[in-house]
Amino acid sequence: MKNSTTNTMRMKGKDLITVGIFSAIYFVINFAFMLLGTIPIMWILMPGLIALFTGIPYMLLAAKVQKPGAIFLMGLITGLIYFITGQFTTVILITFVIGCGLAELVRFLTKYKSFMGNTLSFACFSIGMIGSPLPIWLFKESFIAQISEQGMSADYVASIEALSSTGMLVLMIAAPIVLAFVGAFIAKVLFKKHFVKAGIV
Amino acid sequence: MSSAAKKGRLNFDPRTKLILLVIANIVAFTQQSIWVEIAWVVSLLILIAVCGCGKSACKLAVAFSICLLLQYYIVPVMPQVLATTFLILATYARKIFPCLIIGTLLVQKTSVREMTAALRKWHVPQGLIIPLSVTIRYFPAIKEEIGYIRDAMKFRDIHGIQKLECLVVPIMMSATATAEELSAAAVTRGIENPNKKTSIVTMRFGVHDVLCLAFGIIFCVVAFIIV
Repeated sequence: MKNSTTNTMRMKGKDLITVGIFSAIYFVINFAFMLLGTIPIMWILMPGLIALFTGIPYMLLAAKVQKPGAIFLMGLITGLIYFITGQFTTVILITFVIGCGLAELVRFLTKYKSFMGNTLSFACFSIGMIGSPLPIWLFKESFIAQISEQGMSADYVASIEALSSTGMLVLMIAAPIVLAFVGAFIAKVLFKKHFVKAGIV
Repeated sequence: MSSAAKKGRLNFDPRTKLILLVIANIVAFTQQSIWVEIAWVVSLLILIAVCGCGKSACKLAVAFSICLLLQYYIVPVMPQVLATTFLILATYARKIFPCLIIGTLLVQKTSVREMTAALRKWHVPQGLIIPLSVTIRYFPAIKEEIGYIRDAMKFRDIHGIQKLECLVVPIMMSATATAEELSAAAVTRGIENPNKKTSIVTMRFGVHDVLCLAFGIIFCVVAFIIV
């Protein structure tokens, strides 16, 4: 990774391929939790849980490709693949773009190298996922009308209504931030234990 | 679409499939009527059967019928707790069916090479095409990898939380190694050449492409007007 500093900061073939591979891993983990999201409480915890478990691929990618755009590209690919399966709503698209943008900004300001900087950018990136359950609060009334129209049972609607309190909103936003730090810390421990020895990081 | 069907096995332009996917998304998420949904799914199933995905079309048709049966006949007589979970699953699964059908067609009948050529025709930047095609190609590799790691873990009798670490670390290691190898191969084959890339795939919109897209758009519009 030393030559990346001497070369230009534009992403080259190797960086693009690395981003592609780590995006695949990120997407698989993300998708697993997306499937769990059919259970209402899991849906609200989903952004946090994704943050906890995607720390390793994110931190590894951030360490491998220390150039602008890598994280944005990962977000873009995730979004595109979700679009193909029809899982992406406009709200998540907006939060995702904001999350990725902030992550890139933090990475730029912290010069791509520091562990704390990457952790902060990971927290920003993780917040992007809150767009998935956010409509519960944004369009509370029409949303509930819509899902009961779609054939969701009254039980499901009632459990969603109970979950959509302000306290839950705070929890939903705070969880990815806190768990992103935990996830990054786990990544650091694993890096020390395995990857540094193998000369990967 | 009926006139296109007469030709037997068809191969659509990848761009047609991508546009159809967008239409499928629009129809799936704007329509609430069950009849529109069924009509849409059936037409798409016929389309992919004609394209040579007969087997998958049958499987998807069976799965879709099961979802419908579950929702309308089995769930009402189920105990409450089970019913909620099943209903959610059936409803969600049904919603993504149109996208799933086109997705199947894309995965089975479009090589990544064709897809790349199509995206290049649309002037999607290289910086996106390269990682996107790598991502799509890497999914099967991850699945394979997880299988091997599971086997290895069974041999060594690894349990509990350690299992997670033993899964994640090798995947990350091999991902890093693959990234290195793949880039070396790709750079050798001129991935960084700034010139316009050529492709062996020739791409043209045929009559069947136009017909197929026209059908999709007309269906979309008619569904909007009727419902």
